[in-house]
Amino acid sequence: MSAPTTLSSPPFDVVGGDHAKLDAPDRLTGVAAFTDDITLPRMLHAKILRSPHAHARILSIDTTRAAALPGVVDVVVGSEMPLTYGVIPWTPDEQALATDKVRYVGDAVAAVAAIDEETANRALAFIDVHYEVLPALCDPREAMANTDVLIHEDNRHGNISKRVKLAFGEVDSALAAGDSEPGAHRIAGHYEFHGTTHAAIEPHCALAHFDTTGLLTVWSATQVPHYLHRELARVLELPTYRIRVIQPAVGGAFGGKSEPFDLEFVAARLAIKTGRPVKCLYTREEVFLAHRGRHPFSMDYETSVDADGRILAVSGETVLDGGAYSSFGLVTTYYSGQLLCSPYSFGAYRFHSTRVYTNKPACGPKRGHGSVQPRFAIEVQLDKAAHLLDMDPIALRRRNLLGANSTTINGFHIGSNGFAACLDAVEASSDWQTRRAKLPRGRGLGVAGSTYISGTNYCIYPTDLPQAAVQICLDRSGRVRLFTGASDIGQGSNTTLAVIAAEHLGVELADVRVIAADTDLCPVDLGAYSSRQTLMAGNAAIMAAQELGKKVRKAVADHWQCSPKVVTLAGRRAQRLDDPAVFIPIQDAFVLAETAFGTLGSVGHYNTPRSGVHGDYRGGTIGASPAYSFSAHVADVEVDVETGDVTVHHIWAAHDCGRALSPVLVEGQIEGSVYMGVAEALMEHHHVMPTGLGLEGEKEPGPWVSGLLAGSSLLDYPIPTTLDTPEISALIIEDPDPRGPFGAKEAGEGPLHPAIPAVVNAIYDAVGIRIDCLPVTPEKVLAALDALAAQKGSDDA
Amino acid sequence: MLRIRPIAHERPSSVTAATDALQKLGEHGRVLGGGTDLLPNLKLGTDKGRALVSLAALPGLVGIAEDAERAGTVRIGAMTTLDVIANDPIVQRLLPSLAETVRRIASPQIRNQATIAGNLCLDTRCRYINQSDLFREALGGCLKSHGDACHVVVGSQNCVAALSCDTAPVLIALGARVHVVGGDDGGRTLAVADLYCTDGLAHTTLTQGELITAVEIPALPPTHWVTYRKWSRRKAIDFPLVSVALRLDTCRERDHLKGGMLVIGALGPKPRIVDLKKFKGRDIDAALAAEIGRVAEIRAKTLPNLPYDPAYRRRRAGVEAKRAVLAFMANR
Amino acid sequence: MANLPDSPSPLAPAAPPVSPAIQSPDRPVQTSLLRFELNGEAKTVAAPAHWTLLEILRYELRLTGTKQGCDKGDCGACTVQLDGKPVNSCLVLALDVQGRTVKTVEGLAVGGQPHPLQKSFDKRGAAQCGFCTPGMLMSAEALLRQKRARGDEGIETLEIAEALSGNLCRCTGYTKILSAVVDAWRDKP
Repeated sequence: MSAPTTLSSPPFDVVGGDHAKLDAPDRLTGVAAFTDDITLPRMLHAKILRSPHAHARILSIDTTRAAALPGVVDVVVGSEMPLTYGVIPWTPDEQALATDKVRYVGDAVAAVAAIDEETANRALAFIDVHYEVLPALCDPREAMANTDVLIHEDNRHGNISKRVKLAFGEVDSALAAGDSEPGAHRIAGHYEFHGTTHAAIEPHCALAHFDTTGLLTVWSATQVPHYLHRELARVLELPTYRIRVIQPAVGGAFGGKSEPFDLEFVAARLAIKTGRPVKCLYTREEVFLAHRGRHPFSMDYETSVDADGRILAVSGETVLDGGAYSSFGLVTTYYSGQLLCSPYSFGAYRFHSTRVYTNKPACGPKRGHGSVQPRFAIEVQLDKAAHLLDMDPIALRRRNLLGANSTTINGFHIGSNGFAACLDAVEASSDWQTRRAKLPRGRGLGVAGSTYISGTNYCIYPTDLPQAAVQICLDRSGRVRLFTGASDIGQGSNTTLAVIAAEHLGVELADVRVIAADTDLCPVDLGAYSSRQTLMAGNAAIMAAQELGKKVRKAVADHWQCSPKVVTLAGRRAQRLDDPAVFIPIQDAFVLAETAFGTLGSVGHYNTPRSGVHGDYRGGTIGASPAYSFSAHVADVEVDVETGDVTVHHIWAAHDCGRALSPVLVEGQIEGSVYMGVAEALMEHHHVMPTGLGLEGEKEPGPWVSGLLAGSSLLDYPIPTTLDTPEISALIIEDPDPRGPFGAKEAGEGPLHPAIPAVVNAIYDAVGIRIDCLPVTPEKVLAALDALAAQKGSDDA
Repeated sequence: MLRIRPIAHERPSSVTAATDALQKLGEHGRVLGGGTDLLPNLKLGTDKGRALVSLAALPGLVGIAEDAERAGTVRIGAMTTLDVIANDPIVQRLLPSLAETVRRIASPQIRNQATIAGNLCLDTRCRYINQSDLFREALGGCLKSHGDACHVVVGSQNCVAALSCDTAPVLIALGARVHVVGGDDGGRTLAVADLYCTDGLAHTTLTQGELITAVEIPALPPTHWVTYRKWSRRKAIDFPLVSVALRLDTCRERDHLKGGMLVIGALGPKPRIVDLKKFKGRDIDAALAAEIGRVAEIRAKTLPNLPYDPAYRRRRAGVEAKRAVLAFMANR
Repeated sequence: MANLPDSPSPLAPAAPPVSPAIQSPDRPVQTSLLRFELNGEAKTVAAPAHWTLLEILRYELRLTGTKQGCDKGDCGACTVQLDGKPVNSCLVLALDVQGRTVKTVEGLAVGGQPHPLQKSFDKRGAAQCGFCTPGMLMSAEALLRQKRARGDEGIETLEIAEALSGNLCRCTGYTKILSAVVDAWRDKP
């Protein structure tokens, strides 16, 4: 490991303080500029023509009529940018604009730049595209079996996008023990996790400008400026040094802005062609079509537990509905199995996951990438086990604790582990024991746990280059400037990095200016995905700050003629530890240092540990992380047995984030995660019907149109309002990890996972029904209650 | 962003000028009241209107008053916003069911903008129509959108898009009437129940150039009781997926039924009115509630027009009707 | 009366128009002078008849604090106050603002100082990405002002939730937003 890490002990000066986000005031006054808020002189507006067919061959594209329209400045088609790309370099199967085939309703085929958005909109109708419509495959199992209709004709594995099979230990015999051992159980379950999408309130937007020096600047609502930079270079065939990517304020992302999209290439290409700035703003429908949301998973799990509730074996077989393109699918397929082996100890484990191409908007990473779906399945499996064993479900989870400094069955090294403390916290806060005993029928409590990664151990492309970097400058103003490629998408990474710098350099938070996510100004960071910013950019910030801190202390020590060891920087002062009455303002200390060492700047970087963190097998690195977070939730749920309505009254969510550098931000991540999880459990559905446009719960959808997205607005895709959101108690657990900055681990994605199974388990506790197929809609609840009543009736008879 | 295509706009300053303009514009004209239903439809291109006649400058269309001669009769100006109605002391005192209905429509922002007449004239909705151009193009259109096929009732030549407004069922249950000006007659009043027909493409009985100026709700006898219940996925913003208004006409002791009606909304282009006279003389009890619930379920012939499982919506109508009766019992 | 625009269905484009009226639209654009009060100042702008208040604010007056999230009244990000009441500016036709009063997030500060809601949202961490925040603030401010006018003493979480139920937030789970509104209420100016 190249970056030093600090596991200092409290008390801290800034870390853990009650501070707000650095950039909040700008966002609260309407000053912060999001991408669509930026206007450049002579700016043009681009719109993209999209396919009305789920699967078709493009026979011809004629843009003549559109180009001739007054107000239209230029037109672009795919043949101008034919190179394929993909955020994962091994699976480059997308084009900026389709050249030969369209693969889902909404695939991009051409674009127009015009003097205003209305003209561009209108011009799309004048692009003539002739298609040969092909059969559309919208059901993953059907697509997997079909060898005649190929969505990607050059794919060697038919319509299979990725297959992963891994096994650890003697799985079959351990599973069989669940049948044979006295008091043991073997539980088989089929689970369906539906597709959901990010639905950040800010639609995607990109603005490109190609200046007279030949520099292409792209402002984009992205969470991965670096990957966008790379792919722009590839597709536009420009060297990276001639491209600058700037991420303005981003209005939420959740994984939905974590790869390049057609609009960035289109704006850039049209800017190059026209020599004028070009903006492209998605409509809300286009955001839904761009998607890259949570994959629908169809999962079969088998779990064996012994009479004491120990997990003997877990076996999972999963089909992932990938949609039209690979996106992060290779990683998703690994994550679907690799992230399940904590926080519980498994006696044996195997998974077999198959990602399939279908003619639907491509799926990708959404908050809790690839692991929210299997987490739902395993936590319900464990709940079933607890009931079969007549065990308290929290007790069953305690029996299987993996513990700190342990190794999972798939070879991942776990450092700090606050999962037991999370269980304790939710048990106590929810008053689990007494409340559960007193609940009337219709009301129930459910529990679930989970784990998540603090960034992935390896970059998306093979490299030994640093994964995160920070540059810090100090000067006589007493100000600290911090430059980072890290991407603040609302989660607060700028604030987190400022906290780290302020803690080390003895300034207050407000004294730190963070300049982030501009590839010309900032050192490379891989971006905001896999919950990596706090740990990785944080460690880079520590490295940079320590170097500068050392210089400042040395200069002050020389001034006082003492050892630097007795100089401390805190609270806008340099102070003698051995004589606290001796201090100078931090600004004076910076002046001393600038005088002694010249202009003050330092860089820090971070690379993940390469040994002792994962198993030594093919794929063993994917899903491994320097440090793991842990969560446990208890849900209090009410079921209306007449209507099937499920009301979540309260979620207690405990999350071990190692160290809360900014507790308010950590709470915000926990609360937002719980909200999003509950919404996925109960209402949201990115619903593309295999055959016909079907309805939620409808058994026989119409037969005639495939691949249509049922709801592409924030009306038809219901995200919860204030009135639909449960009370949420966010409980921060701090079990510092030696690999995290000040012990910090992730907080942004982990706390989503348990919300879903906790709700579903609480429904069982309330009324005795298992809903294994998400989302939990009222008609499914009623059907299950009807089936339960019929079962009881036949039992009684 | 989604834009409205260029459109003509005028702002007449008298009701006559407005009706004249509408008459002249014919099928191209649209009444712009609050605009919260019209603007999304214009943006999506599902409404093909090309000229707007704004009522914003018209005098006398806003306000709520109790009739000086007929105590208990309330008149609400057509352009009165839903928010004003929900918070109006007269409405709260005399028409609590209407106040409660209106308070739960859409969102606070929409209630501040949307008007009572606009809600009554809400365009019909269908999962095949209230969609983007791309979606409708992929679908191949439908009766209400540049096509000739109905996807809800395959083979039908009648559009069955659903009237999704909240106020119609409760106003029908309250026996409300609308005052209309313009058109060939120059003016008329009609029962809200007669405002709708079964054609989803032209679902109101208003003729070209006619404009609603007011809604009048007669005094409800103390023995009569009205309530409205709806189901939608969220507790705000959404349109109802099924809705039920219930009127119970009771005896003085309020323990048995003399008559009443159920009005079921969000089915097709027209609310379904179910007379409850067959229950005349019955005690108002849990058994009656269950029976009225069953009647509601039978009569709520839901179609796959709104974006939710019709079978569930139908079952839900029954539960909501039953609970409406139980709510009366709890409150009497 | 303006000329009646004519056009083919957007889904079945006919031949391109021969002589566009203004710039390039397929239908003539009717533009009128719009006079209204914006954040306490008189404004006069040329407003196309088919533009919404949101378009005028963002793209004509460059007041980009008001956000656009859903295109059609589903999310509340574009909430502004019209005559003191929160409305979705994407659903208000610009010309209907004639002679009326509009307040946006840019007009929320009082006497150069942040509004108490801006302070409490900041302190509580109620803004994460901040994209829904301007609209959320405009709804919340209307609630507090209405309550003070009524002389209310206390504040209930449910009434805040109801007042904000037309403003979707994807980051916070609303928890800190509700707390921030309570804080602002208690910190009466």
